Amino acid sequence: MKCYYCALEGKESEAVAICIVCGMGLCMDHAIRKDIDLWEGGYPLPSKRVKAPLPRILCPECYAALYEKGK
Amino acid sequence: MTVTLGKRCIAEAVGTFILVFFGAGAAVVTLMLASGTTPSTPFNIGIGALGGLGDWLAIGLAFGIAITGSIYAFGRISGCHINPAVTIALFATRRFPALDTGAYVVAQFIGAAAASLLFAWAVGPDAVTIGGLGATTPFPGIGYLQAIVIETIGTFLLMFVIMGAAVDERATPGFSGLAVGLAVAGIITTTGNLTGASLNPARTFGPYLGDWLLGGSNLWTFFPIYIIGPIVGAVVAAFLYDYLSGE
Repeated sequence: MKCYYCALEGKESEAVAICIVCGMGLCMDHAIRKDIDLWEGGYPLPSKRVKAPLPRILCPECYAALYEKGK
Repeated sequence: MTVTLGKRCIAEAVGTFILVFFGAGAAVVTLMLASGTTPSTPFNIGIGALGGLGDWLAIGLAFGIAITGSIYAFGRISGCHINPAVTIALFATRRFPALDTGAYVVAQFIGAAAASLLFAWAVGPDAVTIGGLGATTPFPGIGYLQAIVIETIGTFLLMFVIMGAAVDERATPGFSGLAVGLAVAGIITTTGNLTGASLNPARTFGPYLGDWLLGGSNLWTFFPIYIIGPIVGAVVAAFLYDYLSGE
């Protein structure tokens, strides 16, 4: 799979990841890693944050849609 | 990694405040509404004069809904015990550390005291002289030991529901707040007119302190009922649940 964004720019580069939201192929330059903290437990014991976060890859557009609303 | 102990204690204090302000407050308002009516039996101190057992159902639901809301609001932060008996039972079964247990109990007592004092200030002297700030005492015909046993059984059911609906990893997620709130409402409906259905040392401490400080009754001689009964009931329930649910 090739990187979608590089293809738009007329370049060709191998994809190293896929956006978890839209499924675009992404090279290292266009992949955005946005880890998610995981919490376990809850009532009647306090929730605990799991040490290792869940890795997640997004493309720039999905990242902007999810995290840059109103900016 | 959990939220800091300080923040969790604040959550416990606020949760217990909500429990006492709305729950015990409902008992005060019921007594104020019934003030001046003639009790139908010596067993009736005012709660029940207007709606019979429905008065107790209403008070039970006030407690239950306040508890349900608090569980969904604070459950992930502190665990929302809002009850020293629950905290001690979780400690006894090695689910909760000793240092946190002591801090939680202090926070719960502070939250309960603040709720009773603020309720008295907001409602006025009648909240103390007529409503007694919703303090729990054995009702006419209920002896000291009988009251301890009733509080033990009531808190046993409460803790058993907490164990089954929340602590057990096999429990259906998301329903524990409703289950616990409804269980409390049911327990109060039945045992309210026997002991006041405290099920919670902090819930009794707040009104006792408020009454004592603000010129109401001195009820401290009854306090051991509401310490021994709830703690014994909760601890026995936690150990029995672990025994029954183990392979």
